[in-house]
Parts: sequence; structure tokens; C-alpha cells
Amino acid sequence: MYVTPARRAQKAVEAVIKGILIASSTVAILTTVGIVASLLFESLRFFGEVPLTDFLFGLEWSPQTAMRADQVGSSGSFGAIPLFAGTLLISAIALIIATPIGLFAAIYLAEYAHVSVRNWVKPILEILAGIPTVVYGFFAALVVAPWLRGGGESIGLDVSSESALAAGLVMGVMIIPLISSLSDDVINAVPQTMRDGSFGLGATKSETIRNVVLPAALPGIMGGLLLAASRAIGETMIVVMAAGLASNLTANPLQAVTTVTVQIVTLLTGDQEFDSAKTLAAFALGLMLFFTTLVLNVVALHIVKKYREQYE
Amino acid sequence: MSDTLTHSERIEAGLAKRYRAEKRFRLYGIGAIAVAMAFLAIMLAAIGIRGIGAFQQTEVALTVVFDETHIKDNNWQAIVKNSMYKKFPDVTSRQDKRLLTHLMSSGAGFYLQNLYRADPSLAGETRTVWLTASDDVDMLMKGAIDRASLQSERRVSDKEIVWIDSLIADGALELKFNTHFFTGGDSREPELAGIFGAFMGSIFSLAVCFLLSFPLGVMTAIYLEEFAPKNKWTDVIEVNINNLAAVPSIVFGLLGLAVFLNFFMLPRSAPLVGGMVLALMTLPTIIIASRAALRAVPPSIREAAWGMGASSVQTVLHHVLPLAMPGMLTGTIIGMAQALGESAPLLMIGMVAFIVDIPGSFTDPATALPVQIFLWADSPERAFTERTAAAIIVLLVFLVTMNLIAVVLRKKFERRW
Repeated sequence: MYVTPARRAQKAVEAVIKGILIASSTVAILTTVGIVASLLFESLRFFGEVPLTDFLFGLEWSPQTAMRADQVGSSGSFGAIPLFAGTLLISAIALIIATPIGLFAAIYLAEYAHVSVRNWVKPILEILAGIPTVVYGFFAALVVAPWLRGGGESIGLDVSSESALAAGLVMGVMIIPLISSLSDDVINAVPQTMRDGSFGLGATKSETIRNVVLPAALPGIMGGLLLAASRAIGETMIVVMAAGLASNLTANPLQAVTTVTVQIVTLLTGDQEFDSAKTLAAFALGLMLFFTTLVLNVVALHIVKKYREQYE
Repeated sequence: MSDTLTHSERIEAGLAKRYRAEKRFRLYGIGAIAVAMAFLAIMLAAIGIRGIGAFQQTEVALTVVFDETHIKDNNWQAIVKNSMYKKFPDVTSRQDKRLLTHLMSSGAGFYLQNLYRADPSLAGETRTVWLTASDDVDMLMKGAIDRASLQSERRVSDKEIVWIDSLIADGALELKFNTHFFTGGDSREPELAGIFGAFMGSIFSLAVCFLLSFPLGVMTAIYLEEFAPKNKWTDVIEVNINNLAAVPSIVFGLLGLAVFLNFFMLPRSAPLVGGMVLALMTLPTIIIASRAALRAVPPSIREAAWGMGASSVQTVLHHVLPLAMPGMLTGTIIGMAQALGESAPLLMIGMVAFIVDIPGSFTDPATALPVQIFLWADSPERAFTERTAAAIIVLLVFLVTMNLIAVVLRKKFERRW
């Protein structure tokens, strides 16, 4: 007989298949390891040339290295505070615009809207999330920025043609669907019994939403806002196209500021040798960006998960 | 008790105010949705208005003589110039002649050259052909250059306008469908710039992205959903995938630059590397969608297969996977649509160069559609703005198509168990 337990090919084949499945599931892990390793490795080389404290607390960012090594200021200055400030300014504008719109849209869709309205409005809002960011960037740079500049001029304000406001405003529109769909989910997860209890005490619908539903959904909404913030901080194309290139430490939204992602792109596009502090600086910025967004994401996902468990 | 209100009276007194607050709250919600939709509408309209013109291009009908001496010298632009001089015999001064030839695109000569290559018997012949006009003429025809403005403030002089008007009166200057926009590569001259090179770059990148991320994503999902034991290691993989999904795309570009380009020495600007980076980026999306599709297959299917003596691998490959496949494909198409619109990581690996040639393989230097949009948006010429918006329209058409396919797939194969 050829078929014996020792010769059963099926077992061997299936073991190989399972092995392949396990191997492919490690690719996701390897990606993370690759990201952390490459960012850390290049950043360490950068911090060998520029002290960490200069990078984290320096107020001046001008990475242009001089043509000759013996020239004054040949090393450039790599103080990243103006970049962090610019990133925060634009992200803050985006969140200030997107939070009320996204939240009220979610409340209306979850609590008021008829099912047929909901079925139409939700996909339309999702279109906003599906539009490539380069399209938002084009819109911000060639439509919104000139409008703001013209509008500012007519009321006597000096608006920069690459103002933080234009980039932030358009970025805000981009993250509306993120906030509205996450908030919609958490509002729907609030048990109906809580609403019924409030109605039973004579509260109107809006009072129920404000005093019962929103407080109950608050942790989940906060989680969604953190995810939106992480998205805004890491957004690249809108700011590359609509925000400025030169560093500028200001809180005035009408002026041009630059961001971490803009600097990564400007430092790394174009041909240059890979060993200069200038290109390595991009990886140090990338490391900052990665860890900031990672912390925001971990906290946000944790909050959202905790919140879901609470009502399950 | 007549001077103090009863409890119910007090409630009633406040009722009108509370109802007004209720109405206001509701209006805020409607307002928020209206604002979001208005933004979408304004954005699409602004792009549509700017871009629609680029699908047409001004062309001039010229009677050209395929002069054999010029053909021998490979001086095709001279043929174009001569036929312009013949068309306007009154133009004699050197300066005016230069202005006159500027009405035509520098690509007109190439067009004649291609005609001759396709049919060498043209040598010495006379033909009437439609040739591309320069971008300034094009902008004037489309109204982007205002005829009423001062001569010093516009790029087309009064003399040129007189010539253009006489051409229009002859029926020798018309707006025609702009085929070159769909078949040409990038160019410094806006009237010669096309999206085909960038489109092929996108196709090559997406092909690599699909070939890597679809099998890897599906296999990971199968392992995690069907085989993985519940332990620390699988928890780590799960958390890791959820976090990867939220990592900024530019970080994937940095990974590609450090690992694929500098460590593995793969070629810069190649769709191969672009596709690999995009694959890592879309992997989490595909894994999450595939797991949801697997979870939607009811346990009874698995139990029935096991009951018939199938091994767990057979159960999954023969029964669960085919049922979950439509859901997985839907998720993959959505992931591919994301990858098609992504540009930030491609900037990092050098797919942002000025590339005229149409890429023919996975390792040729290339750009991608969104990167081409980014590059054109930076160009100062008015005619490039129009082309940028037109390229955006093309990109959006592709994205809408892909998403519609996903929706149709989902509707067609959706099963209620």
C-alpha cells in the first residue's frame, strides 16, 4: 500500500501552507520594525552631528548648508521649534473648523435624520474622505488662498499668499468626515435605554442629547478627535502646496508658517548626497512625526476600545 | 397660592424657550451638513470650471510644404515658419516675423516629423494640416487672456490678436478636442504636456502594489482570523496593524527611501519601488477589510465542512475563502483607490522628477498621476493651471469608477445568512 500514515502528503502540505500564512502575517510587524529602525538609525547619525537639545529646543530653522565647509554657519541651524509651532497652528485651525461641523453633522445624522436622508448624506460626506489630498492642496493653493488674500485686502488685512489659515481651513474640510463618522459610531453605541430614561423625565430631544447622550459618548468622541489630530499633523500634500517653506515662529494664522512634513519633503526632494546633516534632519523630523502620531493613535484607539466595551 | 406659579405652570412658562432651543439645535445639525456639502460642491465646481477647458486645444490649419532641404536638415520648425510667412505675406520685418512664428507651438514641427516618418512619400508634397497653437493663443481663445486689457498687461500683443482674428475669420483657427493631453508625456510647454506618462507610472505602481498587498493582506487576514491562537503574539500583530493604518503616509516614504533605495539599492523614481511603498501602506486597509469579510462567513459553513471530514486548511481554502472573496476584493479596490490618490510617499522615493518619456517597464523612471498634478500645480503658466485641474478631473473619474465597482461588487455579492 502506498498510503500510509507516514506518507500522508496532506499534513506536510498543510503545514507548509500554515507556515506561509504565518510568514505573511509578520510582514506587518516587519514594516513597523523597518520604520522604527530606519528612522532611529538615520536620526542617531543626525544627532551625532547636531545635538538633540539644539534640535528640540532651538528657535531657528535654516537647513541650507553653505557651499564651502569653512564658511561661517556652514552647518546650518536645526532648531525645530518653529516647525512644531507651525504644525500645531495649522492642525489647530483644522480641528477648530472640523470639530463643530463634524460633531453636529454626526449628531444630526445619528439622532434626527430620517433613514433615507442618512443613506444619502453619509456617502456624500464620505466622498470628502476619498478625495486625494493633492486635490485639496490644489484647491487650497489656487482657490482658497487667493480668496482669503483678496478678502483680507478688502477689509484692510495683510494676508500672506501662503497663509496658515488657507491650509488649515482646507485641512479642516478634509477631516470633517473622519470626525463625523467616528462620532456617529460612538453616538449610535449609546444604549437607547439612556435616551428613553431622559425622555421619560420630560427632557426634549436636544436636552437629552446635550445632557445624556453626549456626556456618555464623550470618551469615544475624544478618541475620534485625537485620531483626527494625528491625521492633521501627518498630512503632507495640503501643507506642501499651500503652506510656506520658510520657517516663521508666529501664532498669526494670516502669516505663512512651515510644518514638519513640508520640511521633510523639501529636504528630501531633489538630488543631494545622503550623508549631509540636511537630509538626515528629515529623518529626525520623521521620527518626531512618527512618535507623536503613534502616541495619539495608541491613546485614541485605547479610549475608543474602552468606551465600546463599556456599553457592550 | 395665586401669586406663585404652580409647578406645571413654571414648566409651561419655560416650554417655548426650550422648544426654540430644540429647533436651534436641530438647525445647527442641518447647517453643519450643509456647510460640509457646500465645501464639496464648491471644490468640485472650482476644479471643474478651471479644468474643463484643457480638454480642448487651439489648433491652426496651415498649408505646409514638405520642403526636401528642410527635411534633410531635420529642421521641421522651419517648415512651420515658412508656411506661416506664406499665410501672412505682409509681415516683413524681422521682429514681426518672430512674433508671428510664436503663434505656433514648438511641438508643431515634431508633429510634421511624425507625419513624415509615417509616410515618407510626403517629401516635396503640399498638405493642409491642423497644428497646435502656442499656449498664449490657446489662453486667448479660451478667454483666460482678456482682450480688453492693456497691451502691456497681457502676453498677446495687439498685432498678434489681429493675425489671430484673421485666422479665425478664415476658419483656420479652431478649438479642437485635445487628444495630445491623453497621449503625451510631460513637457515644459503647457500645450504639449499630457498625462499619459504619469498615467502609465500610476498603472505600473498600482500593479506592483496589488501583486504584493492583495496576497499578503489576504493571507495575513486568514491566519489571524482562522488559525491564530489567542496569545500575546497575535495581540501584538493586531495592535500593530491598527496602528500602521494610522501612520502618516510620508513616513512610509521615509521607510522606502531608507530601506528600498539606500539599503537594497533599488533604482530611484521607479514604479517598482513606488508600488512596494504603496503596498506597505495599503496592507492594513486590505487586512482589516479581509478580516471583516472572513468574520461575516457564518460558523455553520466551517462546521459543515469539518463534519464532512475536511481539514481546517481545506475548510478555509475550499469553503470560507470563496465566500469571503467578494468582500475582500471590495476592500482591496478601495485600498487601491487610496493608493492611486497617494502622492506624499512617492515624493520621498524620487517619483517627482520631470520625465518626458512614457515609462515602459517597472524600473523606468516615472511619476504618478497625483504627483504630476503636484508638479503642474507649481508651474506659473496659466495654461498649466488648466491642465492641472483637468488632470484632477481624470484622477477623480478613475477614483469614482473604482469606488463604484466596489459598491456594485458589494451589492451583487452581498449575502444575508
